[in-house]
Formats: sequence, C-alpha cells, structure tokens
Amino acid sequence: MAEPILAGVAESDLGETPDRNWLDNAAIATVRALDDAGCTLAEVDGVAVAGGDDYMPALILSEYLDLDEPSFLEGTEIGGSSFEHFCGHVRDAMARDEADVVVVAYGSTSKTGPSDDRSLEVTHPVDGFVRPTGLFRPPGAYAMAARRHMHEYGTTEEQLAEIAVSTREWASMNPKAAQREPITVDDVLESRPIADPFNLLDCCLVSDGGGAVVLVSEEKARDIDVPPIAVAGVASTSTHRQDVSEMPDMTTTGAAVTGPKAFEQAGITHDDVDVAEIYDSFTYTALVTLEDLGFCEKGAGGEFVSGGTTAPGGELPMNTQGGGLSYCHPGHFGVFVLIEAVRQLRGDYTGDRQVDDAAVAVAHGTGGLLSSSSTVVLRREA
Amino acid sequence: MSAPVEDRREEWDGPVPVPTGATEPFWEATLEGALRYQECDCGNRQLYPRAVCTACGAEDPPFEESEGVGTIYTYTTCHVPGEPGFGDRTPYVVGAVELAEGPRLLALIDAEPTELAVGSPVAVTFWRVSDEAAIPVFVPE
Ligand SMILES: [Zn+2]
Repeated sequence: MAEPILAGVAESDLGETPDRNWLDNAAIATVRALDDAGCTLAEVDGVAVAGGDDYMPALILSEYLDLDEPSFLEGTEIGGSSFEHFCGHVRDAMARDEADVVVVAYGSTSKTGPSDDRSLEVTHPVDGFVRPTGLFRPPGAYAMAARRHMHEYGTTEEQLAEIAVSTREWASMNPKAAQREPITVDDVLESRPIADPFNLLDCCLVSDGGGAVVLVSEEKARDIDVPPIAVAGVASTSTHRQDVSEMPDMTTTGAAVTGPKAFEQAGITHDDVDVAEIYDSFTYTALVTLEDLGFCEKGAGGEFVSGGTTAPGGELPMNTQGGGLSYCHPGHFGVFVLIEAVRQLRGDYTGDRQVDDAAVAVAHGTGGLLSSSSTVVLRREA
Repeated sequence: MSAPVEDRREEWDGPVPVPTGATEPFWEATLEGALRYQECDCGNRQLYPRAVCTACGAEDPPFEESEGVGTIYTYTTCHVPGEPGFGDRTPYVVGAVELAEGPRLLALIDAEPTELAVGSPVAVTFWRVSDEAAIPVFVPE
C-alpha cells in the first residue's frame, strides 16, 4: 500500500496564549506546518481535527482557513490518540486518490481558557456513577491503574519517577520546553501529592498551544522534494471511556493490541526502533505503554526505565522533546509525539538532542483515561 | 441485604446522580439500602446499568441484589478535589471495588488510606444525597 509522507510539522506558540482561542492556535500551527512542508494553503485538500472546544471542528477550521472544498474531512474524537488514528485514515484516503495534501491539526487554550462549568445534577448514566465519587480525573484514574500495577508487578514510585527525571533531561535541551531545570527521583517523590501514588512531577503540564502535521501522497512528495518520512504502520483501538473500573484489565492498555499490528504492517521488530515518542500524560502512561508495545516483558516496565534507558544516550531514547511532563501539554498531546518523531527522523537537531542516525520511530498516542491507544510507525526512506 | 443509608442531603455539595432510563431501578434500590447489578438470562453480570446486555445483546437485562461486599481492586487518595463540593473533604479515597458477584464499581471509600490495601475487604453503605438517590460508599469490613 502507498504510504503517506509526513512532509511538514509545526507547533503554534506554546505555554500561555491568552489572546488566542483553540482555532487560532490550530490555524497558526497549520500554516507553519505547511510552510515547513513547502506547501500552500491552496494545495490543501484534506483536513483532520480533533479536540477544539467547538462542535464540528473540522468544518470550523476549514472555514477559518478558507479551504477550497476539501475532499477529505475527519473529526473522529478519540482524545489524545486521535492524530495517530487519523494517519491511518489519511493513508486509506490517499490510496483511493481522495486527497494529496492533508492537514492534521490541533489547538487548545487548556491553561488560560475558561474552565468548564459542570452541573451538579448529573444526568448522564455513566457519569452518575463516576462523578459523585469525586475522583480527580484524569490523574486519579491513571493513579488507580498505577496502584494496581504496583500491586501486581511490584512497580515502585521511584521507578515511575525515573521517567520524569529522564524526560526532564531531554527537556533541558529543548528551548521550547516549559520546564528545563534538571530534577532527581527525590524531587519527584517530594513534590506535592496529587492523586496517590502520583505527585506533581508525575503529572503532565497544562499548556495552551497547538500543533499540526502535513501528510502528502508519495506523488506529491516527489514534487515538493521533502525528506521522505513515511507512515509505515498504524493501528488504533479502545478499551473503555469514562470509568476505569470498566477496563477489562486495569494494568494492560490497548497498546498491547495496536503495537503488534503497527509493527507488523511496518515489517519491523523492537530492535529496529531508534526513537520512541510515547504519550506521557503521567509517568505511568509511558511506563505501561512501553510494556504493552513490547519493549520489555509485561510487568518489567519499572526495571526497564530505571538507569537511564530512555534518557539521552540511553538504549531507547524516549520523549526527546521533553514530553507532556516537561515540554507542553495542551490537552491532546498526540499531535506533538508525531511532530517530534518526524524531526528526529529528519535529523533536524544537533548534538545530544539528536538521536544518532534515527531511521525508525514509534509515535504512540493515548486518549481519554487510558481509554484509546493508537500506534504509528514512521520510517525514513532511504 | 439492607445496608445503612445515612441521610446527607443537608450537607452534600457534590454532584448528584439523576436517575434516568436503565439506571432508575438501581437508584431506587439505593434509597432502601440495596445494591443492584444486572444479571442477564445469558449469565452475564454488569454494572453500571445499561439498556442492553453487553454479552448477548438482550434488552433491559434484569436486576439482582448484591450482597454488598467485595474487595478493593485498586484505589487512590485524591489530594486535589476532582468535583465541586469536595474541597472540605480533601484528601479522600476513591476505589474500584470488585463485588463478590463479579462486577466492579467505582466508589468513595470512607476510610483512612492507611487502613486500606489492594485486596482489603469492604462493605457497602449509602449516603442519601438527594430525594432520588443514595450513593454507594464503601467502608472496611
Ligand atoms: Zn445477556
């Protein structure tokens, strides 16, 4: 099957954007990503948007950018993994010659935007069971899964903290990262408790901002002469949505399904993977995803991430921009794992920030409350 | 079974479940101190209540009464209130309780975190939070 080429990537301004709304940020990221790809707005014939604080975000962004009757429209909302999920739909659309230049975009004002006013009268049947418990979501839901993992496999808080430490080490080299001061395991353990076993430094940031990636057909890629970073494998699934107690197995995520499928499509093994960009809404999210993707035995994630395995110079460089834990987290982080995977494969960086000769990357998105999983394998074509 | 139902209508500032559709029989029973789950003719047991059986697709699977006991499958202590009205209660414990009959239920756990571990036995009580519903709250057995 023809593989779409990730031709351009960009962020909007990150951090606090009080004078922008989600749409402004998505649009700014889009035009910057098109510029990165050497494409123009006039060439865009497909748009895929998730998140956004409006109904019908794909239509809203299309209108805002005054797109000329796009033939491919996508708005499937599966949370933070939506953008990885879109990559599969874009591949299918391009195989049918339905589109040549597709923008996958996200924007938010998670930090400075209005917080949602929630009614105390809960009419949604599921929420009627969840919200009166007072569970602080998402952290509390992920924390419950982490505690069960600790119970079943002996995972420790120190091991979870190792992820925050190595992620921060990557962030220290990224001028765009919000948090760049090095931290220790003790710093994580001594930070403010949020939802046991998570402390503040186990939890992602809250940021404003947006991101976009431009996917082009193989034919179009030849015209614009971009580094050929191909979508070589992609798979998605879900296990539940609002209520983590509905997870069939609270210590296993959908990545156990999507990882093997995406790897098989791409024809790769774990040894081929040079860099991993793994959604890290919490330290535990990255740990359990590494296990479920098969980078180590199930339950051995704590041991695997200890000792700098995922840090600069480690065996499996992970979240090389500083992740949701230290770089930014505007709500749906999935678009940013794609952006960083592309930059690493293109060799955009210098020094320790660049993973040597990176040719294969895994970008993994997680959405909801460990609810959805989407894995993309990206390959730099020779 | 009939578990204690404590009337907390005066002091409760948190979210209040509004019984609708398939959940009505569940919430009605809570006012009498009974915890119900659905058990389909096919044998499947499920919670939260739904209009269909998730195993065989039968519509409106019937309700059975739980013994109201189970074990802590996992839990967390929330140091940040997750809902309006929980500020004064913080920190508080929320758990996933595995009922003796099988289904799991997310619930407030009225206990100190030091009294709990994964696997701890718990029993249901109810806090009446509105005219229409009493929420299940578990205590160590
Ligand atoms: Zn049935």
